[in-house]
Amino acid sequence: MNAIRINAIQTRELRKEYKGRAVVEGLTLDVREGEVFGFLGPNGAGKSTTVKMLLGLVLPTSGQLEVLGGTPADPNIRARLGFLPEQFRFQTWMTAEEFLSFHGRLAGLKADELRVRIPQVLGTVGLGGRGREQLGGYSKGMLQRAGLAGAILARPRLVFLDEPTSALDPIGRVEVREIIERLRAEGVTVFLNSHLLSEVEQVCDRVAFVKRGRVLQEGSMQELMGGVIPVDLRVDELRPGLLDALSGLGEIRRTDINTPGRADLELWLQREDILPAVATAVHDSGARLFAMTPRRPDLETMFLDLIEDRPGAAPPESAHQAGSEHQPGAARA
Amino acid sequence: MHNALLIMELSLREALRKRLVSVLLVLTALFVGFYLYGIFKLEGSLNGRAVAAGIERTRGGSSDLPVMYSAMFGMYLVYFLGSLMAVLSTVGAISGDLESGVMQSIIARPVSRAGLVLGRWMGFTLVNVGYVLLLSVALLGGVYAITGYVPPAALPAVLLLLLAVALLTALTVLGSTLFTTLANGIGVFVLYGAGFTGGILSTIGAFSDTPTLTTLGRAANILMPTNSLWLGASYYLQPPILRQLGEATRGANPFFGTEALAPGMIVWSVALTALAVAAAMWRFSRRDL
Repeated sequence: MNAIRINAIQTRELRKEYKGRAVVEGLTLDVREGEVFGFLGPNGAGKSTTVKMLLGLVLPTSGQLEVLGGTPADPNIRARLGFLPEQFRFQTWMTAEEFLSFHGRLAGLKADELRVRIPQVLGTVGLGGRGREQLGGYSKGMLQRAGLAGAILARPRLVFLDEPTSALDPIGRVEVREIIERLRAEGVTVFLNSHLLSEVEQVCDRVAFVKRGRVLQEGSMQELMGGVIPVDLRVDELRPGLLDALSGLGEIRRTDINTPGRADLELWLQREDILPAVATAVHDSGARLFAMTPRRPDLETMFLDLIEDRPGAAPPESAHQAGSEHQPGAARA
Repeated sequence: MHNALLIMELSLREALRKRLVSVLLVLTALFVGFYLYGIFKLEGSLNGRAVAAGIERTRGGSSDLPVMYSAMFGMYLVYFLGSLMAVLSTVGAISGDLESGVMQSIIARPVSRAGLVLGRWMGFTLVNVGYVLLLSVALLGGVYAITGYVPPAALPAVLLLLLAVALLTALTVLGSTLFTTLANGIGVFVLYGAGFTGGILSTIGAFSDTPTLTTLGRAANILMPTNSLWLGASYYLQPPILRQLGEATRGANPFFGTEALAPGMIVWSVALTALAVAAAMWRFSRRDL
């Protein structure tokens, strides 16, 4: 029997208006417990307002929301949340240890627990040995690390990270990614709000695209790509039988034989483990293989297509339908 | 309540660490030293004149009037500086943290917003009340050390001043949950000015026997009782000779009271303080951040 999975976050038709103008409009969202969830959208899409509603900082105009099975207005629920705000401003007259001690005490941690936990989290975010320095002397990146330490200090079950790497160098970004992966391994749910799509791609289990406070699309990366892996192939020529062999392995989406001495194909596979069979099929046909490039789902293209209402912004099902009408041998415009 | 006390502790540490307290102590020492030096010179001059005239000065007599007035105006300055301090130190108690973004990460913790406001008020009230108490003791103690004069009922007078400071701090915290820091500062000073204006109108009304002015003054004093509290405090600070002078001039001096503060006004001031804190707690619990 399957165990019932509880959603860490659940919203239904969540709406927020400011002076009659809707910033979040009918947001329906499910974030499963233990997953890393990417929340994507252009500026003004209502992402930060959504996060604030989920944290109880902003009251919804209408709709329902549940966080860890309760309401964020309940201090017992908030005790299990961690939050790194986009504007990571803290009391700069405090040292990092004082800042964490203050937040730990607010979260209900005892003094002896804090003595162990504070050096731990400072080490995790790369601020080991810097805890006795005043936050006023920290760089922006260090402040963001201190904020991240604050977010994970009280061992939360759900962490909201709003642009967690905006002030970090590439090393810092890798470290944050590792922290997120560690949190996932510990079963912590992470709600990641980031503009860095490559970062989201690498770390998120599922993502949602929002625009004007509505979810345009939601799912895992593969689900969003319609469950296929696009593969670009380049061979010297289309030998007899090659197209038939490839058709048996996947869906040929495009062929281009306009350039003398080479043929380009785009093949959509259902699974990654079919890739070796593609190489074998080319080899068996007698053609010479120049390139075989499986494309990772490109979040940036998807993002632009969805957000800018481009013609290609069709949902995966319709994308499949459009593909089946395509005839091999005809060049795509 | 635990978190309110934590926030109070934060406010106190903030006041210490931002050097608010140390700056205050230095400026207070300068102010009190400067003022007491003046009184020291005054006392020397009065003694010299008495010796030259071949008379002996008697404590509490008319020859001591300059010293009495010096102590009175000194305490008025204590009240004014205390009021200034109450508004300036507290003006951004909530709005400042909202504007800087510090508040978001605090409110996301399991802390009640009402508790946070209460903690902020308690912390700043402790600092401000402590400041006025220190200033009062330093000034009155200094006057006593130099001249041997001590006002007749200093304790109730200082208690009324402390109530005025607690009230101003509460109103400033309330404003801080409603307006931006700048708007709040302007608003509370305007209110403070309204109280002072009420005192002047009442004085002129009584002096010229114009009931309308007296009524207007009373309305302003109910709206903002700080000036009434000062006038009540000043009544306690005056020895009989000054009170008689006040009565003889029909209360022409708007800075000193000629009668004890009505108990109802004290009760109203305490109630207004509590109402302001409660309103701030209610308002902040319902606003979006």
